[in-house]
Amino acid sequence: MRESTIMKIHYGTALAAVALVAVHILMRLTQGFAESLEYDSVLANYKFIPYAAMLELILILLAVHGFNGLRVILLELKQGRTYEKAVSYGCLAAMVALIAYGSRTIIMTNMGMT
Amino acid sequence: MTQDEHKEGIKGMVNPSRYGIERFAYWLMRLTGLGLLAYFIGHIYETSNILRGQVGWNEFLELTQTTEGHAILAIVIAMCVFHTVNGVRVMLGHGGIGVGKPARPDYPYEPASQNYRHKIGIYSAIVLAAIAMMYGLAVMFGE
Repeated sequence: MRESTIMKIHYGTALAAVALVAVHILMRLTQGFAESLEYDSVLANYKFIPYAAMLELILILLAVHGFNGLRVILLELKQGRTYEKAVSYGCLAAMVALIAYGSRTIIMTNMGMT
Repeated sequence: MTQDEHKEGIKGMVNPSRYGIERFAYWLMRLTGLGLLAYFIGHIYETSNILRGQVGWNEFLELTQTTEGHAILAIVIAMCVFHTVNGVRVMLGHGGIGVGKPARPDYPYEPASQNYRHKIGIYSAIVLAAIAMMYGLAVMFGE
């Protein structure tokens, strides 16, 4: 993929994540910070499908943005064909692993498998 | 061996008095990005404790809902706000907004893009990050 396309994705994921993370944080504040972290409250959040879908979207957006950012930082430090491939595929693998792990939490909790 | 400006390493690189606030913002953008990625990974692991049931969740909350945990969260809030505001500034700059008109480079070769608008953007990001951190501390410790 061209770097210009990757940067557009990087900026797009950033803007979308800012909006959704703002909603996620506001949910903590509207309830009261400590109350919103109680087990029943968190479980209710996960079971509410629109909120669970938003969490999944935040997970994907931040994982893509975060690991692409890490890739850019690592590529600024050092260059070379093998190194660049290792960094790009390594970041991609880490991104997929994190999305899979986070999705597992969202899906299992939403389905009541706690 | 003589000590010149190239031998100060990271300390020299992050010194905002030498290369300007833009260089400091560049460095801070990367530092906050790495910090936020580390927090994000930790947060994904932290929230997975919900699968351990109420006892597991409460055990983990006892670890994170402490004075140290709140202090770390306040730093995360500051990093998040700085990264967001400075990120918007960088995006606008990449889009050609606020970087001035193209002109012939003349002595003393001051780059038009490093102007007061972007400097204000960087300082605003730092100030907003500090305000958000204070607000976060008030919410977390005010209860």
